[in-house]
Amino acid sequence: MDLTEKLVSGKGNFVDDINMPGMLHLSFVRSPYARAKILRIKGGITWKDVDLKMASVGEGATKGFEYLEHPVLAKDYVGYVGQPVAAVYADSPYEAEDLAETSVEVDYEPLKAIVDPEMSLTAEPMYPGLKSNLLADKYLGADFEIKDAPVIIEDRFVNHRIATDPIEPRGIVAAYDGNRLTVWVSTQSVHSLKEGFCEIMHLEPESVRVIQTDTGGAFGLKGGIYPEYIVAAYLAMREKRPVKWIETRREHLLASRPGRGVVGKMKLYADRTGKILGIKGDVIVDSGAFAGGSGEFSARFIAMQLTGPYEIKNAYIHAMSVLTNKVPQGPYRGAGRPEAAFFIERMVDRLADELEMDPVEIRLKNATTAPYVSPTGLTVEASKPFLESAVKAMGYHDHVRKGNTGFGWFVLVPATMPGETARILVDGGTVKVWLGGNAHGQRHDLFVRSILSDELGIDPSVVEWQKGDTDQLEDGVGAWGSRSAMMGGSALVEAARKLRKEVENKYGKYSPQKLLEGKWDSYEFFHYDKPYNNLGANLITVHQDDLGVIHVRECISYYDLGKVLNMDNVIGQNAGGCAEGIGQTLYEGLMFDENGQMMTSSIADAGVVTADLVPRYKLLLHKSESSLPSRAKGLGEAPTIGTPVALARAIEVATGLRIRETPINPEYLLSAKKFH
Amino acid sequence: MSNLKVSITVNGERKEAEIEPRMLLVHFIREVAGLTGTHVGCDTTNCGACTVLLDGRAVKSCTVLAAQANGKKVTTIEGLSKGENKLHPVQKAFVDKHGLQCGFCTSGMIMTSFWLLNKKRKLSEEEIREAISGNLCRCTGYESIVDSIQEAERRMDESEEYIEEEIPARRGR
Amino acid sequence: MMPPAFEYMAPTDVDEAIDLLNRYGDDAKILAGGQSLLPLLKSRITSIPYLISLSEVKDISYITDGKNSLKIGAMTLDADLEYSPTVRKNFPILSDALGQLADPLVRNMGTVGGNLSHGDPSNDLPSVMLALDATFKIRGKSGEREVHSRDFYMDTFVTALEHGEILTEISVPYWPAASGGAYVKFRKGTWNFSVAGVAVQLQLDNEIVKKAGIAITSMGPTALKASEAENYLKGKKLTAENVRHAAELVVAASQPSSDSYGSVEYKKEILRRISVQAIKKAQTRAEVK
Repeated sequence: MDLTEKLVSGKGNFVDDINMPGMLHLSFVRSPYARAKILRIKGGITWKDVDLKMASVGEGATKGFEYLEHPVLAKDYVGYVGQPVAAVYADSPYEAEDLAETSVEVDYEPLKAIVDPEMSLTAEPMYPGLKSNLLADKYLGADFEIKDAPVIIEDRFVNHRIATDPIEPRGIVAAYDGNRLTVWVSTQSVHSLKEGFCEIMHLEPESVRVIQTDTGGAFGLKGGIYPEYIVAAYLAMREKRPVKWIETRREHLLASRPGRGVVGKMKLYADRTGKILGIKGDVIVDSGAFAGGSGEFSARFIAMQLTGPYEIKNAYIHAMSVLTNKVPQGPYRGAGRPEAAFFIERMVDRLADELEMDPVEIRLKNATTAPYVSPTGLTVEASKPFLESAVKAMGYHDHVRKGNTGFGWFVLVPATMPGETARILVDGGTVKVWLGGNAHGQRHDLFVRSILSDELGIDPSVVEWQKGDTDQLEDGVGAWGSRSAMMGGSALVEAARKLRKEVENKYGKYSPQKLLEGKWDSYEFFHYDKPYNNLGANLITVHQDDLGVIHVRECISYYDLGKVLNMDNVIGQNAGGCAEGIGQTLYEGLMFDENGQMMTSSIADAGVVTADLVPRYKLLLHKSESSLPSRAKGLGEAPTIGTPVALARAIEVATGLRIRETPINPEYLLSAKKFH
Repeated sequence: MSNLKVSITVNGERKEAEIEPRMLLVHFIREVAGLTGTHVGCDTTNCGACTVLLDGRAVKSCTVLAAQANGKKVTTIEGLSKGENKLHPVQKAFVDKHGLQCGFCTSGMIMTSFWLLNKKRKLSEEEIREAISGNLCRCTGYESIVDSIQEAERRMDESEEYIEEEIPARRGR
Repeated sequence: MMPPAFEYMAPTDVDEAIDLLNRYGDDAKILAGGQSLLPLLKSRITSIPYLISLSEVKDISYITDGKNSLKIGAMTLDADLEYSPTVRKNFPILSDALGQLADPLVRNMGTVGGNLSHGDPSNDLPSVMLALDATFKIRGKSGEREVHSRDFYMDTFVTALEHGEILTEISVPYWPAASGGAYVKFRKGTWNFSVAGVAVQLQLDNEIVKKAGIAITSMGPTALKASEAENYLKGKKLTAENVRHAAELVVAASQPSSDSYGSVEYKKEILRRISVQAIKKAQTRAEVK
């Protein structure tokens, strides 16, 4: 049975499926307050047992915030609702949950919570010793002045926080044999986790093994390490018994790292022909109460991308990551890219309306005709030819004639650096493959088979893609940031070529038979230290019904993917991402009250879309070459970037309303002129 | 609290156990029957990853007490394959039409589809989407799942070689 | 998220269930399909020491055509009622409501009696029963009594059921020929409770409304009957103007509060629009027959 056949038969091996004799089940006591002093804790495993601080590893990791490091278990202060304060364990998860409710007493002295990121800018610093609530503060580009610009447009946009909400929540099993800690975990990167365990718990690399279980979706959630994992490892080492922790959905919403949560204040200067003369802006990221998420990184990452696929000569962006009494922000599919596109594309549409020009016409006017590096540092290839072919391929003008159409485009910035690893092990006629980034629903197995059957001339069915295991592959980066086919794929191509050489060297000539008869082991770290960006565009048409509800009718993507390694793979990535883009725009958000209490209490409230809310999707390919060994370009996040901008515009056209916020409030949609 | 003796037929096999009354059916299936293909996703009766058939009806087993299933028949994802390696047309269609990515929602999605196709054929796309609206998938955007169900319907029309479930006749007159 | 411990009892007939309810008093509660109760227990919002399950009571799950009314056993599954041919034919308003109740899987476990006796103002069936003038049969220690649906809903989660009583049967009177009804519900997605729902049942006589039953969901502490709208339509033609005015009266009967689903004004606006839709749909169905 291959992986897919196992999964459709209920024979997958997800982390909660692991049962071991003597296993303990862990449950957490969490802060009910967004901000409070802890006066007393009685019972359970507390900071007195695990007096450790979290490290920042994985996607968007940043170092050097000693002062604001997230404690594994809270000591004298809690900074968000859901922060782990104590842990309890029992022989069954039911009992563990009972104990969490009954066996730990915590006395809190609630403090006034800082909930709104913009208000945080002027609020008293959250921690003593801080001068402000800025976790990161950076200017990108150079200040400029344009006297008497014919058009100046200012606006403010918000992408609210979104739960990553994979259908499988976080989970871990930890075991200790007296020498070595082994963890089985649902993850995007076994190597980031290993690094995290070693750094946080002061363990030697040889004494930690991280094994990936089948991973039921992640979307950014499972690239890093979490306090609960450390407590599980601590308890396994202390009790010398296996320990399991499986997150509840409520815990997921409260205490795992959500994405988005960004405000963009934009100012755009243009002349009356539609040429953009410059942009200024503030990017304000709702980073949460501690460092270590992706919050501090994402403000400058968003700011860097704000010039989009345009030749904008002047740009000056203030990137701010702000402390709030919420769980630290993390990456969610797109992770900074959709925010940047939303902010600049909404501004360009505003400019088009201001000048009464067609939105694509204004985009063509500002597209680059040669490779360009913007003042904020964004590398763009010549974007005008791409746009011209996109407009043609998507039938833009026909759609516009039919009405209620929105178009958006963007530069996808895959997380190429620092490259990726791969290993190929040939033994007994089968070919096992490990990649340094661990798939969590992208179906790496598909492109791995395609690559190896191309490179080695072998039957795809002998290729067995393997889940992550730090004992099988010595290092690796992670599966995120639209990088796997580019970086993982290239590492695999290089490893395959090396293998081919080895067979050639031994037998004088390569043949698949010779390869499969032997035992071979090939490892490759494909190093890559530059950006490798590509372009994408989306077109959406909508219908607004009598109750103000928006129905997405058509959802077309036009992407430059270089070489398509596997068509099913690519179609699946596009479809899933489009659904998430629609979700972000119309349904998904985590909402908080003024005390920092979350108003969102289920995956349903959080707005994960159902089958009846989304359309069919169409993916069109822009033909181009990639110079990478795998010949692929980035894809994974593209639809989450392009869909919201195209959809927001389609809604503007259909309703006559200005869209500034996601998710769009249904009440606002009912204020459209046609209803009054 | 006193324990409860229950007997539940899971995939044709009678499972008897003394359980805590509060045990959810999904945990009976996973822990007592040892069948881990049925998953817990959302805890709040939204995601349907835990979908199984209870006396022929697709239900969310995280929102059913094992005690409520006492004396009844449960079919799980593991009960669809005939023999060790023979996939049901619905399972096969999900493989062939790429109806899964991470595979976590898949068991529930397939059980709902299986129930649906045993109940009714010649389904419109709208009916299919409505029928699976109690099952969440975060990876596929649903398109390939709809394709899989349509493909499964074709194959079930053509072949008799698969497990059928007795779906309760609609009651009343 | 797992429920706290409780004792579980599964009596095989209603009287035994009533005895148990009386024995354990406030510590006991009836478990029907559990689609509302189990989520509450799992989130530990509530705990119930004694759960008395009706799942093994065999004789309260039925749909039968009585002489003047349709009799529905309280433990009838939502899905069974949804697909019942007699309901499809005679009470499309019920099929409408059941087809939009939570999702198809919940309807395979949830029961009609559970939905009606939970007392949640966002449940769909109460307003339909109010519109149809249904009667509820209630059994307790001292025997059986009948309560009209309009007297059943007292407050949020509070019904006319006294402690120790069980709803056993719902009796929906047949409406004469030239009657028809519709239930229109507005929700953001399948997974959400409704922002508003409205049930409209009309009896026509040569284009004139002879009788109207109208009630609303999610619009106050309980499902609410829009009596003024019902009375207004009586004896009138369903002109655009009259329909509009009736919808205004439906809105006037509502008592929504502002929450994460929307402001009071928004909810009223939605109700206004779906009331017009429901009246028109009910009219079409009444005319067809």
